[in-house]
Amino acid sequence: MIEQQLEQLRAEAFADLAGVSDESALEAVRIKYLGRSGGLTAVSESMKSVSKEEKPRIGKLLNEVRNALTTALDERKAALLSDADRKAFAGVDVTLPGVAARLGTLHPITQLQDRAVQIFRRMGFALADGPDMETEFHCFDALNTPADHPARNEQDTFYFNDGRLLRTQTSTVQIRTMEKNTPPIRIIAPGAAYRRDEIDATHLAQFTQMEGLAVDEGLSVADLKGTLEFFFRELFGKDAKFRFRPHFFPFTEPSYEVDIKSTAVGSADRWLEIAGCGMVDPAVFDSINLRRKDRAFDPEKVTGFAFGFGLDRLAMIMSGVSDIRAFTDNDQRFLSQF
Amino acid sequence: MKVSLNWLRELVELPSSVEALVDLLTLAGVEVEGIETRGVSIAEVVVAEIRESVQHPNADRLSVCQVDDGSGALRQIVCGAKNFKVGDKVPAALPGAVLPGDFRIKVGKLRGVESQGMLCSAEELGLPKGEDGLLILSPEAVAGTPLSALYSGDTILDLEITPNRPDLLSVNGIAREIGALTARPVRLFEPKDAAVVPAQSTVAVEAAGLCPFYSARVIRGVRVGPSPEWLRTKLESVGLRSINNIVDITNLVMLEQGQPLHAFDLAKVQGGVRVRLAGAGETLAALDGKTYALSPEHLVIADEARGLAIAGIMGGAESAVTPETTDILLESAAFESAGIRRTSRQLGLSSDSSYRFERGVDRAGVLSASQRACELVVELAGGTTEALQVGGEAVQGATPVVSLRLKRVEDLLGVSVASSRVEQILTGFGLHPSEGGWSIPTFRADLTREVDLIEEIARVIGMEAIPACTQARFSPASAVDRSYDRAMALRRTCAGLGLHEARSLTLVPEKPLGMAFTQVAESDQQRVKNPMIDDQVVMRPNLLHGLLKAVKDNGRAGVKSVRLFEVGRVFSKRMPEEFLHWAMVLCGPVTERSWRTAQGADADLFTLKGLVSAALGGAVTFEPQENPALALALTIKVSGKAVGHAGQLWPADGRALDSLAPIVFAEVDLGAWEKAAKEGVSKRFQEIPRFPAVTRDMALVAPLELAHARVEDVLKEAKEPLLAGVELFDVFTDPSGAKLPVDRKSLAYSLTYRTSDRTLTTDEVNAAHARLKERLVSQLGAVFRE
Repeated sequence: MIEQQLEQLRAEAFADLAGVSDESALEAVRIKYLGRSGGLTAVSESMKSVSKEEKPRIGKLLNEVRNALTTALDERKAALLSDADRKAFAGVDVTLPGVAARLGTLHPITQLQDRAVQIFRRMGFALADGPDMETEFHCFDALNTPADHPARNEQDTFYFNDGRLLRTQTSTVQIRTMEKNTPPIRIIAPGAAYRRDEIDATHLAQFTQMEGLAVDEGLSVADLKGTLEFFFRELFGKDAKFRFRPHFFPFTEPSYEVDIKSTAVGSADRWLEIAGCGMVDPAVFDSINLRRKDRAFDPEKVTGFAFGFGLDRLAMIMSGVSDIRAFTDNDQRFLSQF
Repeated sequence: MKVSLNWLRELVELPSSVEALVDLLTLAGVEVEGIETRGVSIAEVVVAEIRESVQHPNADRLSVCQVDDGSGALRQIVCGAKNFKVGDKVPAALPGAVLPGDFRIKVGKLRGVESQGMLCSAEELGLPKGEDGLLILSPEAVAGTPLSALYSGDTILDLEITPNRPDLLSVNGIAREIGALTARPVRLFEPKDAAVVPAQSTVAVEAAGLCPFYSARVIRGVRVGPSPEWLRTKLESVGLRSINNIVDITNLVMLEQGQPLHAFDLAKVQGGVRVRLAGAGETLAALDGKTYALSPEHLVIADEARGLAIAGIMGGAESAVTPETTDILLESAAFESAGIRRTSRQLGLSSDSSYRFERGVDRAGVLSASQRACELVVELAGGTTEALQVGGEAVQGATPVVSLRLKRVEDLLGVSVASSRVEQILTGFGLHPSEGGWSIPTFRADLTREVDLIEEIARVIGMEAIPACTQARFSPASAVDRSYDRAMALRRTCAGLGLHEARSLTLVPEKPLGMAFTQVAESDQQRVKNPMIDDQVVMRPNLLHGLLKAVKDNGRAGVKSVRLFEVGRVFSKRMPEEFLHWAMVLCGPVTERSWRTAQGADADLFTLKGLVSAALGGAVTFEPQENPALALALTIKVSGKAVGHAGQLWPADGRALDSLAPIVFAEVDLGAWEKAAKEGVSKRFQEIPRFPAVTRDMALVAPLELAHARVEDVLKEAKEPLLAGVELFDVFTDPSGAKLPVDRKSLAYSLTYRTSDRTLTTDEVNAAHARLKERLVSQLGAVFRE
């Protein structure tokens, strides 16, 4: 009797299952047969009346039917979910554009400055700085600039009423550093410098420079050459071609300008001036010693090299920017390109 | 300075090519700024005589010419010009010639008629443009002569002479330099005879400080007229105009010797020459046609009656040499560079003469230049010279001697240089070995120290000969390194937060934008004494001016969402005068519109607060600030210390910047931030909670004016040990009064409870939650919505 009932339930349940097409219908089938008042639940309750001899056999059959049904329900459910998943993704147009993520940018001058800082740090240089508002001593006197030098004129340099000025070069940091420290010195100093230049595509009254100074026993032009060659090769690539052209600066001797072959930045073949450098002039050491009231920078004992270059100019060359004003216009359409 | 290679070749053998010469000079520190080729150097261009010219059968504008090119047979050339007649001599480019612009001449047909070459205009040959059409040559020109014989080629170099090398402002000087660099002999332009120096000074030099030496020489009976061809060619090659033989000679000698000269018409000079300071109110009409108002710091050359010339800068119009002049007074003098520079700048007047005096002229060359000019005048214009008149001292004292140690050369250059090489280099530059070192020639006043001699050696051996040394030292990080790294980390965080870095000018207008927003007093501003333009007058007191200007500019450029930050120096009269600040500004939608989402809301003060907290890190708090200049104002604090300001502009201020969207900003003093944040060498780790947290929500109804911060404070002050976090997740008001009275608001909080050593029981949590609610009721009179 119960056996027949079970077989019949099994047949009915599988027939119902075959007709199921969604999750709620599937749940209805589960409740109909396995729920608290479901068919199989009723049968298992009637097991109490089954004789002791028959119990194992009927019990086994009951389990078999229940397991088969449970498995079938689970499988059907998994299949329904998979179907739904497939449908959910079938219509997705993966060629739709991505949703823009908002990423900011660092200013091109900052990026270049930081690259330069990282390269010099690999060569054992530490950072130094000094004020933008400087004294004439730090900007000119100590840098061996003659008293009647045109750069000191009010036509070329910004002054304040107290006699101070806006530094015309970051070389002032050389002096600041040597006043407070003793050799060995290896510093770089990025910063602003100012000149009363007429503003045009290649001139601003304000620009960004990077200064460097090394003072030690036994430093020579060979160290200067090795340092700057390494720096510019790291910056422009190892095949970049340079030349050191003798030049004149009041605060270095010998002095050089560094030119790079413009092919390094992919433009027509010519030399571009990118830096000035040289061996620290003994007159600079003398004025520091006088200021310090000691002989820490005795030109007979220590030598040094110094260099400086304009970051704006380098960035213009490297990024193909033709108007220097773009660097301070803060146009987001420009800034977001870097 | 311009220099002609033909002129130089008279003195020294030049390298085989212009390129080699340019490299030689450039790598010795004489930069070549321009190279200009002149004249005709094309071999296949010859003089041709036009024998016949007929109309081209197929072209109105062309004619068919038969020309005599000197070969014996006539040559047929089709020509488009109209300015010639039969019998004219013109240049003909024969097949094979390559004209400027890489234009190759071949035999070809023009409208069906054969043309065996091209008749040329001046321009087509690279000569200065003349009249339209063919270059008509002199009737004396012989057919078949190469044109290069008539228009000899020359190359002009434009040299940048550094201020330490005034000796290079002459052909003699450049030739001497080339000779030294190439170890070749040099023949300088020099007078045939030495000048005879009188024993007595006869010229009154009243300002010896400005004019240490003056010489004048009278030449009588000169014939003023045009200069010979060779002299005109030399002057014109470097861009000077030929005036007459006398003036041209003074210019020639200046270019040769580097010593400026001046010739006066003696008939206009009344009595003896005086070198004196100008009187107050004195004026002088100069050769350039302008009248200059002089002052007592300006030096003039005068006679007994009036000023004749602005000393060392320009002669006067009145005493100029003219075709009627028969007697001249030739001046050759040394003027101090500082005085000339000052006068030149004050008068806004410079000349080839002042350019040389400003940089320094060799006093020892004054008399030989005068002698050289006299000899040329007598040769080219006739006349007889009278005795020299001088004032001041012709010699500067003993020849300086500079010592040089070979070891020092090696130490400074990093390469050893043999003593024979050193000797060769220095003697090449005109130095002589002498007792205790090297005696320096008068024209090299820049060589005063050992290092100056080493530089000369470095210039000649070149950087190529010096090895590249790549040894370094360890360097500890400086305070500047640490501050740099902190600022860079902040910049990168800002970029990660979607902000673009701005860099603004440090000089701003007298009334910068946003001064009131950060409460800067005008008296604290650092003002430049000599600003150039109104936009750049004071040192920026904060970063807002640049950023607010950028909001305006970007808005005008159509940028929808402005998101900028800047790290930079700001200036004040308060010590330490220069401060490193960070600032940011937002204006416009927070998120961009896409196919998925509509455009987001405009950024406001709360967007800003979130970004500031993210950028500066956890310890940031904000406090309401009394600031009527702003619609909303906050003080930014770190560890309880004020480090900056944040705020939202009044819409009226926004409209003044052409913006309808809210403008919000924050500005922080990074020095103060650094001090307040007290970062250690590394961050300390905090145990991650191992037991689950329980959250309980509450919605409290409170008067509109109750600040969220007050609720937070009350909860904090309770010091409830189980409370691990408070999150405000809803703020609700109802202006209609339907769901909530209009003077009330609902604040919904989610409170998190947790302890580190066990899982909390429901009872514990409920008790804690009840305690906190009770506290809110008693302290704030809060009512809870259930």
